Amino acid sequence: MGIRSRSSRNKPSSDLIPLFEYSNVVNSSVDLKFILSTVLLTVMGKMLVSRGMVLLRKEGHLFGVVAAKGVGEQIWRRTIGIQKLGKSMVSLHNVKKSLGEDYDFFLHYEMRLLVPILTRAGVVGVLGIGEKFSRKKFSASDRKLIKSLVNLSASAIEKAVIVDQLKVANRSLDTKYQELNTLFELSKEFNLVLDSQKVVRLLTFSLLGQIGVNRYAVCLFQSGFMRIVASKMEERAELHQAVQTLAAVQNPMLTEDLARRREFQDVAAHLARATVRAVIPMQVQNQTKGLMLLGEKLHGGSYTKGDLEFLYSLGNLAIISIENARLFQETLEKQRMQEELKIAREIQQGLLPQHLPEIEGFDLAAVNISSKEVGGDYYDVMDLPGKEFVLAIGDVSGKGTPAALLMANVQAALRALAPMEYTMPEATARMNDITYSNTRGDKFITLFWGILNAERRDLRYVNAGHNLPFLIRADKTVERLSDGGIILGMMKTVTPYEEGRTTLRPGDTMFLFTDGVSEAMNDHGEDFTEERLEGVLRKLAGFRASDIVREVQKEIEAYAGGTPQSDDMTMVVLRVL
Amino acid sequence: MSEFKVHHRDGEGFSVIELKGYLDAHTAPDLESTFQRLLGDRKFNIVVNCKDLTYISSAGLGVFMAYIEDVRKNKGDIKLSNMSPKVYNVFDLLGFPILYEIYKDEQEAINKFRQHGKKI
Repeated sequence: MGIRSRSSRNKPSSDLIPLFEYSNVVNSSVDLKFILSTVLLTVMGKMLVSRGMVLLRKEGHLFGVVAAKGVGEQIWRRTIGIQKLGKSMVSLHNVKKSLGEDYDFFLHYEMRLLVPILTRAGVVGVLGIGEKFSRKKFSASDRKLIKSLVNLSASAIEKAVIVDQLKVANRSLDTKYQELNTLFELSKEFNLVLDSQKVVRLLTFSLLGQIGVNRYAVCLFQSGFMRIVASKMEERAELHQAVQTLAAVQNPMLTEDLARRREFQDVAAHLARATVRAVIPMQVQNQTKGLMLLGEKLHGGSYTKGDLEFLYSLGNLAIISIENARLFQETLEKQRMQEELKIAREIQQGLLPQHLPEIEGFDLAAVNISSKEVGGDYYDVMDLPGKEFVLAIGDVSGKGTPAALLMANVQAALRALAPMEYTMPEATARMNDITYSNTRGDKFITLFWGILNAERRDLRYVNAGHNLPFLIRADKTVERLSDGGIILGMMKTVTPYEEGRTTLRPGDTMFLFTDGVSEAMNDHGEDFTEERLEGVLRKLAGFRASDIVREVQKEIEAYAGGTPQSDDMTMVVLRVL
Repeated sequence: MSEFKVHHRDGEGFSVIELKGYLDAHTAPDLESTFQRLLGDRKFNIVVNCKDLTYISSAGLGVFMAYIEDVRKNKGDIKLSNMSPKVYNVFDLLGFPILYEIYKDEQEAINKFRQHGKKI
């Protein structure tokens, strides 16, 4: 009895001590792999079994192999469906017929006993045990011990599974945090950069760093065309063509998804050949203004939904900065143009006479209204010896600074040549040749110039292609001053210029003008016309010169009705007292 | 403005780049120009010592990615060393330990280049 009782006391204790140790070891760890491997090895050791495996529930009826011994490596990470798994052990000894698909897997790997792993949450997994070395069945006490070992580890397994899930959640949080950080950092940095090339550079760095691709192409939509602006992939002609079609992509897409859309099928085939894995549109207000083509991820794995969302945000952020940079450049350009126009206007105004000379027996007035774009209008009145005066009006082709500079040339030539011993046709021919040799025939000047002898009231003039000045006689008959020749600067002088002569009488009015006057437009785009101008001038015959200038201006303003004029307007009026 | 410094020194058959401070989109071009210079001088055995690197963003990592291919094509490598746990975490998150050799200290990385050199 004594012996029996001792032995019966001893027997459980010899089992209990290792059990206690085992429980301590298993429960002090949160490393799932270690726990499962300890459970498996302990059971296998106690039962003298050479095969075993542990499966954990993934979701629903799906179980994944997480630990296995003696059954070969290929079984690792296998996922199988088990429909009928109760809370009690299942013996697979002497099974002749198939017990259904659920168990075929275990039978294939020669498992003999399936032990459910139970926690408060229910069955979380299953332990599979192979045949005992002795080929004996598992006895009732074997089963009891196995059940104890599994039960003792159940809460540790449960804990470890949660820790693992937390780790995964933590890591995906870390990844999200990292992505947000990248977006935040770049939005800050992009705002500082006003150079689209630098934005693209930063963008590619972030692509390389965050996603780990090193085959990419960045395209921007420029003047109606998707242009590859940065790339690290082979740029075949078909790639350039493909990106034109891809401009229609509205959402980030994998190449394999593009292949399923009929309109992108052909392009997707090109992309696959070029090892492009994903296409990300870069959008401003839902308009695709750019594209990113991305190759394989170097770390392996395919693009996740999260990756695509991140890339889409990144691309949109970049394209906004690129758009801003472009707008900034445009504004800068506009400012530069305005600055240039201001200079042109200053040059032009500097060339016009500040004061008109007093001419005895005559009444003189002039005005120049420069348009927004600054045309090349010019007029001049110069004093010559012997009561003679030069009156000139001209118009240079083109606008802005180039026109203003050419006009300055003409003025210099005129001022130099007029007092010299040249005849007017000779002087005009010289001006033509100078202009032609300076501009090589791509800029022209219309010029009317006359020399008035104030004592004899006699006018000699040359009209080089300028709008014919009006001479309204005191009796309101109208003459036009047309003698002269070809526009200045068109070709070297071949045919000499002609000189016109006329004698002025009291009450006569001479009206010089540029085409900005006769071609002033109303809101229907219709010219004021020389006919209308003539009518106005007839009405004004006998008025003071300054009144004529003012009244014509008023008439034109009334006609134009506020339509902005694109050309300068210049008038010079000489009235004989 | 974040503080960042790149310092580079040459050893026998290798170059060491020391990084200090914040490596982000703003400072990435500094590191880039150092790599450009080294590659221009045909120095392809590069150890990047991250001892004083306090922060790295994905744009910073992008610089390593941008040059690794050229370096390896020329039978060299970019090896990293002396990373703080915080910086390592970013490398790890973005999957860089698969692509780059990362060593505890600079000497270990240099020794790797030496061993490799002997083999050749």
